[in-house]
Amino acid sequence: MKKVVDVSLPIGPIHPCFKEPCRIKCETSGERVLTTEVELGYVKKGIEKIMIGRPWQETIFLAERVCGICSVVHNTVIVEALEEISGITVSRRAKILRIILNELDRIQSHLLANYSYCYTIEHETLAMYLLNLRETAMDSIEMMTGTRVMSAYIVPGGVREDLSDENAAKILEATYTLETELKRYVKMFETGPMIALRSKGIGVLSAEDALASGVVGPTARANGLPRDAREADPLYHELGWHMILRTESDNFARIMLRFQELFQSVNIIRNGLAALEPGKIRNGGEMKAGRVKHTVEAPRGDLTYDIEIDSAGQVVFVSIQTPSIPNIEVASHAMMKNLASVADVTSTFISADPCIACAER
Amino acid sequence: MTLFSYISEFLRPSWIKSFFTVKTPPLVSPPYFRDFPTLTGKECTHCLNCKMICPSPGAIDVIQTAGVWNPRIIQGHCVRCGYCVEACPEGVLTSGDLLARKKEQGLLFTHEYSIKIDTGKCMGCGNCTTACPVNREIDPQIGAGGTSFSDQVLIRVEHGKNTVLHNELCKGCKTCMETCPNGAIHVIRKVTAVQEAK
Amino acid sequence: MTVLQKLKNAVRKRSIHVCYVNTGSCNGCDIEILACLAPKYDIEQYGIYVHNNPREADVILVTGGMSTQWLDKLPDLWDRVPEPKAVVTIGNCPISGCVFNRPGKLIDPPVSKYIPVTAAVPGCPPRPSEIISAILGAADILFKDYEIHQKEKKGGSHK
Repeated sequence: MKKVVDVSLPIGPIHPCFKEPCRIKCETSGERVLTTEVELGYVKKGIEKIMIGRPWQETIFLAERVCGICSVVHNTVIVEALEEISGITVSRRAKILRIILNELDRIQSHLLANYSYCYTIEHETLAMYLLNLRETAMDSIEMMTGTRVMSAYIVPGGVREDLSDENAAKILEATYTLETELKRYVKMFETGPMIALRSKGIGVLSAEDALASGVVGPTARANGLPRDAREADPLYHELGWHMILRTESDNFARIMLRFQELFQSVNIIRNGLAALEPGKIRNGGEMKAGRVKHTVEAPRGDLTYDIEIDSAGQVVFVSIQTPSIPNIEVASHAMMKNLASVADVTSTFISADPCIACAER
Repeated sequence: MTLFSYISEFLRPSWIKSFFTVKTPPLVSPPYFRDFPTLTGKECTHCLNCKMICPSPGAIDVIQTAGVWNPRIIQGHCVRCGYCVEACPEGVLTSGDLLARKKEQGLLFTHEYSIKIDTGKCMGCGNCTTACPVNREIDPQIGAGGTSFSDQVLIRVEHGKNTVLHNELCKGCKTCMETCPNGAIHVIRKVTAVQEAK
Repeated sequence: MTVLQKLKNAVRKRSIHVCYVNTGSCNGCDIEILACLAPKYDIEQYGIYVHNNPREADVILVTGGMSTQWLDKLPDLWDRVPEPKAVVTIGNCPISGCVFNRPGKLIDPPVSKYIPVTAAVPGCPPRPSEIISAILGAADILFKDYEIHQKEKKGGSHK
């Protein structure tokens, strides 16, 4: 087929749908979108370069500020990488506290992603419901760590603060609120005819494209690919984690998969709170020289830190591979190809949950 | 979704209740929120632990006003991490309920300094050795080339080679880093997060 | 002061259209601005609307510490905003560059070097309650007697 381009349409960098600046260049023929290209580079700060030569008490703050939405997981993965190099052990209580905070973070990140999607397809009622529900998770995080975003909760050898029994009870109460409210919203999303019109069968990622690209996280799992770094952690299995897969591989599947994972996260938090045993939360430990590649499941997929430190604990080399990089690429080249309408470009892009700050650092 | 489901959505008791009793919470932070650190009124000993651990450039200063040392938080630079609150041995600063939790749970940051010399860059001039205030206190007769007859000093030049003898004496003032012409010497602050036994 | 001016002051105070511009922030401040939209904080009850369109904005909320790509684009965007207009910066980055202001950085803070900043909210990131109280605090004086000030300015330049 001969490609006839009518209009080359740029979307962004400032666009009502985007939380962050990025530009999507669409080549359109009539209303049909032929190809798209995502142009990045608006929020590059050079964090990896700044990290070099700094000890852990400064790098964890830089790592947190790679991404504001999933700051907890960046903090977790850099600290766990440093612990792996130095052979520092963490007590069981601290490990479970880390998992509880990570799952709370996943809840707020998934809710924000689904809010963005609902907002983009102009279902503002459901979007506001989800954003309000997110505040419940944010309040729990604030109660646990003292801050809403950028909590700096995880330190080598343990966590910053202990969770008191009354705060644990409050978080348990919040999980019940989350679950009952979520059930209603998921029903609204699942049965809404207008939502189905804008979501089902749109932005389909074919199986070949998904296998060929390095797509990770919920975007891969909505395609039936079992890619989840939590699988390697025995503690997660103990707390009731299991792989959730969907096979429709369209926008609807990606959003529904996030909803299903929210229920699982709520369950993990509950099991974690029940499994908390009294004990120390900090072990201390000296830094040793070495290099390691450590992967943890972020809300958006596999997050890998390749980090080398010297004997004093200062960073010699660091490379961050964030899940948004493959997801943005696959969104621009495979998902947004041959869309029926320009209006679906932004919603398909948002359904892959791209985090521009993560991708550029 | 049918008309019935819309009506049933709005006829829920919790919806009706929240519709008639809607209230915006007052614009205040909860008591456990880690706000900008404030002074508790305890005496500051000018140990600079807070300034040394601060991860943000230029966020905290310890200044002397009317003969009293006190830390000052600079808004716009401070990231409200609360490390200074936890690092202060005297409890001069407080932020949210962090100070209370620190006392209750025995949270502590210990630190030690280690001096790292890049042998490829060091030319053994002895500038750092003579400038070091710890060295000068121990051995006032320290030679201009950085040689010393005392083996109690922190750092000395032995056979043209700069050698660290007593790492534990280092106070972390970084004077040596400032005087080194080649940038060969580094003072590293190793921080460990520990919990004291109750 | 004319009645018309009083009316304009009263209306402008209660109807502020906001556009937020991310000039290299980490998202933390952006999602806290989004959280202001949530029914819990409900920024729209104070008459503040988040549009994210510079051409219909009164107040630009700048987050982030001016990455290289934005150096020419932010002044350009500032020119597109219709008068009367103002800039409120959110977070530490536009003020000082936060933890990124170290050797090797690719940002160039502060933002006030490039566009005139009226107010700044410190914090990394500030709480939604802090953002709302800052904007509300500035709203009373932001566009007060705008026409009178413009006339004074014009008169001053003629002399």
